[in-house]
Amino acid sequence: MSMSIASTATFAVNKVAATSKVARSAKAAKSRSSVVTRVAAETKTRAPGPLERGGTLEGEKAAGKDAGAAARAAAASSAAATRAANADNAVWSDPRWVNGTWDLSQFKLADGETDWNAVIDAEVVHRKALEDCPAVYDEDGLFDTSIVPWWVWVKRFHLPEAEKINGRAAMVGYAFAYLIDAAGGAGLVDLHQSFLGKTAIFVTVAFCLFVRRLDDLDTLGVLADEATFYDKQWNATWEGKERPSDNK
Amino acid sequence: MDNCKPCGGAIPLCMVGEFDLPEEIIDRKVTKMKMISPSNRAVDVGQTLNDKEYIGMCRREVMDDFLRKRAKSLGTNLVNGLFMKLEDPGQGNGAITIHYNDYEADSKVGEPKTMEVDCIIGADGANSRVAKNIDAGEYDYAIAFQERIKIPDEKMEYYKDLAEMYVGDDVSPDFYGWVFPKYDHVAVGTGTVVNKTAIKTYQAAMRKRAEEKCAGGKIIRVEAHPIPEHPRPRRVQGRVTLVGDAAGYVTKCSGEGIYFAAKSGRMAAEAVVERSENGTKEVDESDLRLYLDKWDRKYWATYKVLDILQKVFYRSNPAREAFVEMCADEYVQKMTFDSYLYKTVVPGNPLDDMKLLGNTVASIVRANALRAAGKSQVNV
Repeated sequence: MSMSIASTATFAVNKVAATSKVARSAKAAKSRSSVVTRVAAETKTRAPGPLERGGTLEGEKAAGKDAGAAARAAAASSAAATRAANADNAVWSDPRWVNGTWDLSQFKLADGETDWNAVIDAEVVHRKALEDCPAVYDEDGLFDTSIVPWWVWVKRFHLPEAEKINGRAAMVGYAFAYLIDAAGGAGLVDLHQSFLGKTAIFVTVAFCLFVRRLDDLDTLGVLADEATFYDKQWNATWEGKERPSDNK
Repeated sequence: MDNCKPCGGAIPLCMVGEFDLPEEIIDRKVTKMKMISPSNRAVDVGQTLNDKEYIGMCRREVMDDFLRKRAKSLGTNLVNGLFMKLEDPGQGNGAITIHYNDYEADSKVGEPKTMEVDCIIGADGANSRVAKNIDAGEYDYAIAFQERIKIPDEKMEYYKDLAEMYVGDDVSPDFYGWVFPKYDHVAVGTGTVVNKTAIKTYQAAMRKRAEEKCAGGKIIRVEAHPIPEHPRPRRVQGRVTLVGDAAGYVTKCSGEGIYFAAKSGRMAAEAVVERSENGTKEVDESDLRLYLDKWDRKYWATYKVLDILQKVFYRSNPAREAFVEMCADEYVQKMTFDSYLYKTVVPGNPLDDMKLLGNTVASIVRANALRAAGKSQVNV
């Protein structure tokens, strides 16, 4: 399905910028509170990979084996380097984009329903293309993501993530239930009835919800600092002194 | 006193009323604003304004001159000079001596002079010397870069009462790019805190985004200035206090400072007048702290809300997309303009607020989902 989408949305890049390793690692290392955002410049030119050369097959054998637009975009990516290099060359176009928004009538499935997944795919490519090469358009974009119904978002993005988290919670829960039972403690039903058991279950669920990856622990710490930093800056002048309004 | 301050020049409606500004100093009344997201989604903001509401665009040299002349006519002693340093013998030990270079006689070479004063209100901007003298401390600042471009009349017509705001990683990693109409030209600029060295790259990207709309324009002036991000650690020291940019009273998110500079100046002066009992008593630090406390209590909420908005919505491109999407909502526009034009944080209808919170979270989640899908999609 994604192949057919790739053939309708074209993303022509005349000059493909080589991705410098420096830029990629700078992007990966960027955390929310970091201060340095390096504007990557083209440093070394690597030999173009098969994706950039247009594939390893030729002629008839290559028929219908085009790389998807997103894949080509991914090969050419890395923020500023691409932007700088492709700024004048890249042109995003999609026949289904009409008057600044997606023409939903062109996204119909066989039974007449709108193919929301295709709309999302098209918008993903659109946003990525414009992010990498901010283009100048005559018309203003009008597409609002809220027209895609909530259940499409849930089904496509939330459910896989929920499945993963539930799976982790279940594995942790099963392991601990077994260990506690083996240690002479309560069985599964007793676990749910004791206060300690209920607390433990609650903590586990909360932990799995907020800490999906170990990185999230750092992120939560940073967020906590951020939330109060501005207040500290404002109150700096009152350190050691009392506010007149506090005396009243 | 004849400098031309580099400034966006936007003043809220309440400033015109509170400071009795005449209509002549307002070059343009902006009633429409267009916000443009990284993926070129454009949202028109301003439908909720009534006929009497507008954002005033003014030339700083005109407005500053008017205020100065008015102060003089009310009995102020204007001195055309450059502050060099101050000497404070301490509370109760006599007046403060100001050393300055007087430019009254010759505008090129200043004549060193001194003056004795009872207290000092430092209003000398982001690079304040008064602040340095009293060791007020440093602040983080953004660098704002702006080019004034004279564009052909037909293009200028488009910007008759419209200001544009561009958000995106290409234009600024933590601020926004703008096209503000001035009296016969537009000011195109951008700013950043975290990546000041790349400001020229951001400006180039900003010019590219506004390319079509400013085609055929000529750059007539280039300006850059620092914008404080938070108040200085010590805003008062003995009988000296700071107001405006010198104190660091610039909001986050929008970078607005003119109104707060004027208002803080007024509040500081009022505190001095009140506590010195019309100039009969000596003023000390606790009197000046009265102004600080009043200021903090009155405007803390405004600053905090804008700080939260900046942290949430200027974070990344998906966040900016969500920001622009949210601005399409009428309730958001109404709340934004009410708080900007009248400088009060109005709570509004709690039910609508809950809906707004829900919509905000939904927008951000959707925008992030689209970006995540873009990253992981390798459909070869």
